[in-house]
Amino acid sequence: MATMAEVDLEKLVYTRAELLTSGDYAEPLIANGIRCHGGFDADGVYGSPRVIHRTPAVLAWQAQLEQGGHELIGIARALMPPQYPNVEQAKLLLEHGVRDPIVRALTIVSIVEGFGAIIRDVKVPKLDELIVEPIDGSALAHLNQGLFEAHARDESGYREEGGHKQMWEAARDLALETPKIPGDVLMRLMGRRRRAAKAKRPFPQLDEKLERMLQMMAQVMVVEVFAMGTFDWGERLLSDPEVSAEPQAAGDMVRYIRADESPHIEYLRTGLSEIRARTLRTVDGNTISGREVVDRLIHRILKAMTTHRREEQREDVRAGMKDAMQVAAEPTQLLEEFDSLDSSWTPPEKTGFEAPAAA
Amino acid sequence: MTLFTRLYRTIVITRLAVTLWLLYQIPGYWRRLRGMPKRTDEELRQTHDKAADLILAAAFRMRGVIIKMCQAIATRSDVFPPEFVNRLKECHDRVPHKSFDVIRPVVESELGKPLDAVFSEFSETPIAAASLAQVHAARLHDGREVAVKIQYPDIEEIVKTDLRNMERACRIYEYFEPQPLALLPLLKELTLHLGLELDFRREGESADRIRELFADDEHVIVPEIYHEFSTGRVLVMQKVGGTKIDEAEALEAMGFDLYEIVQDLMHIYVRMILAAGFFQADPHPGNLFVTEKREIVVLDFGLSKQLPEGYGLGLFELMFSLMTFNEAAMIRAFQELGFETKTGDTDTFVTLARRMISRSDTGAFEGEFTEEMTNELFNAIRENPVVTVPTDFVLVGRVFAFLSGIAHTLGHRANILAAMGAAPP
Repeated sequence: MATMAEVDLEKLVYTRAELLTSGDYAEPLIANGIRCHGGFDADGVYGSPRVIHRTPAVLAWQAQLEQGGHELIGIARALMPPQYPNVEQAKLLLEHGVRDPIVRALTIVSIVEGFGAIIRDVKVPKLDELIVEPIDGSALAHLNQGLFEAHARDESGYREEGGHKQMWEAARDLALETPKIPGDVLMRLMGRRRRAAKAKRPFPQLDEKLERMLQMMAQVMVVEVFAMGTFDWGERLLSDPEVSAEPQAAGDMVRYIRADESPHIEYLRTGLSEIRARTLRTVDGNTISGREVVDRLIHRILKAMTTHRREEQREDVRAGMKDAMQVAAEPTQLLEEFDSLDSSWTPPEKTGFEAPAAA
Repeated sequence: MTLFTRLYRTIVITRLAVTLWLLYQIPGYWRRLRGMPKRTDEELRQTHDKAADLILAAAFRMRGVIIKMCQAIATRSDVFPPEFVNRLKECHDRVPHKSFDVIRPVVESELGKPLDAVFSEFSETPIAAASLAQVHAARLHDGREVAVKIQYPDIEEIVKTDLRNMERACRIYEYFEPQPLALLPLLKELTLHLGLELDFRREGESADRIRELFADDEHVIVPEIYHEFSTGRVLVMQKVGGTKIDEAEALEAMGFDLYEIVQDLMHIYVRMILAAGFFQADPHPGNLFVTEKREIVVLDFGLSKQLPEGYGLGLFELMFSLMTFNEAAMIRAFQELGFETKTGDTDTFVTLARRMISRSDTGAFEGEFTEEMTNELFNAIRENPVVTVPTDFVLVGRVFAFLSGIAHTLGHRANILAAMGAAPP
């Protein structure tokens, strides 16, 4: 992100074209032979795509919030569950030739990043009609004026440029020398089957499009914050010369992705904080505090992701582990050693977004 | 099959082939002789209509492979003109059934017992009839209700004779026609599929395999196959009922949310095609039902297909490249899926993709292959004879177009990417 000194905090309105504009690069980023977004300046420093206006814009909107006496929401690091397998466990597997679980995990990360493109399909309702206070010059006013589109392009690539999907694939292929992709990747990605069921609406009194949009923003923000744990994991693992064929290049690729992701968290938390600082109209002609809505949505998502979803994810990874270990010389011993390296973790009791206790 | 029958079938097919050839050639010679201009598109369309009528009439009279061939043509808008495709679609659901007197000996001979030694009840009127077999409701002595799928007598011989005749006709056609339609590859594909469809043991095994795939999902019903009563020509399976999946009003009257039904259906097919690479390739509404408990019933595994390893990921990459308008990735994905251009000019793939996307409702690819989009893709391919299309892709495209048709009938979209988990809440 740009520093405050470089930012024109007075400029609060940006065009869609501005928010989608990238700077000039002395050299493009080529990953796996594919031209990706972003690039390098004359000193070889990586620059993220579409940030020359987006970063100052977000900083200006955040400053405006603070000036109004409103807080910017954040998710405590303590809520982030550790990766499974963790770096030590993953290294152990690779050192014993058990590559499938790691290749599968990295491939799934790349696909999930690519799915980020669907954020451009989120329907943004007429916010000025659904929010009591004005939204001019805020992140909210720019969601479908470039912010969602920039996010989508960053994740999945756009036209001739690859995005994070292709960059994760490149990191995987650099480190593990273009490994064979396990045939069950998509099966694992789809995960356990749940019968389709429309979830009960948490706020039926809200306009449905608005509720969906806020749910999506909260969900994506939590995923993006938790993804920082994945970046730590990927960077440490893939830049480890003991297991990576190209530790510098593979590690750098993950660092570039991480740098690109930061604006996503920032605009999402800004937009949600702006909602929190406002009042929402309900379909029956009443109002509801934005804070109540946002906090309850984030709380629900955090509770789910730190408890049963985490357990399910561990079980799914674990399910294929025994089979995958059969390629090792001593699979039983390896499994024991693998388990001994597991990170212990207990989710914090509080998410920080609980409803205030009734007086 | 008697010598007379064989001869009769050969004569009918030869006569049909000659009539078709004359139908197309004589007006051309006549015009050239009289120095007249070539036929207009409208005149050519009328000729196609006449030809399609002749083929359809012969198919209903002869059944067997001709019906199958018509069904195959009706799914190949990449090869055949729309007049053929639209007219021959009737072969999907208008096949007349055979009388029980003809069917009963097949069951008894296959099971090696009289009918009442195996079944306590057996309905003489079939519940469904297709090109190779028909299905009767029955009850086993232990009380289990079953559906019995029985091949028509002599169907294997009929198939062999018809295939031989059709191959001859195709070769003669290709010899005389300067720019022939690619009929022989289609016939080869049909021969392969027919061999599989005529083996009911294989169909039973395919059903077992798909049931196993959904073992963790109590809401997907693949009928149990009773192998002890089944043979290569008779398949006895659990009888499962329900409401046809495209009957929107009936489903809503049962209290179901149609959006959820579409999601369930898409999840089933995406899991089979993209994730497992093995799928039931005939998802027309006569093979898909919804039970009172909102379970989805999948029937008829005669045409089940094993995709090459990694094909699901290749399809995903193609969809992904379409979604992100990434032309280089589109070309890579088309090539990985087995598409080829005879000239090596890969830009053709981008043209195909653009034409297909242009027929989506939004002008962008958002995860759904509608019938209009697949038809447009196949039209573009037909108009561009430099492209070779892998048959696996045609089959998958047809399945997704079928699913899109069902989803639209229910008022929703058949979004493949959403079924994989990429969907806004």
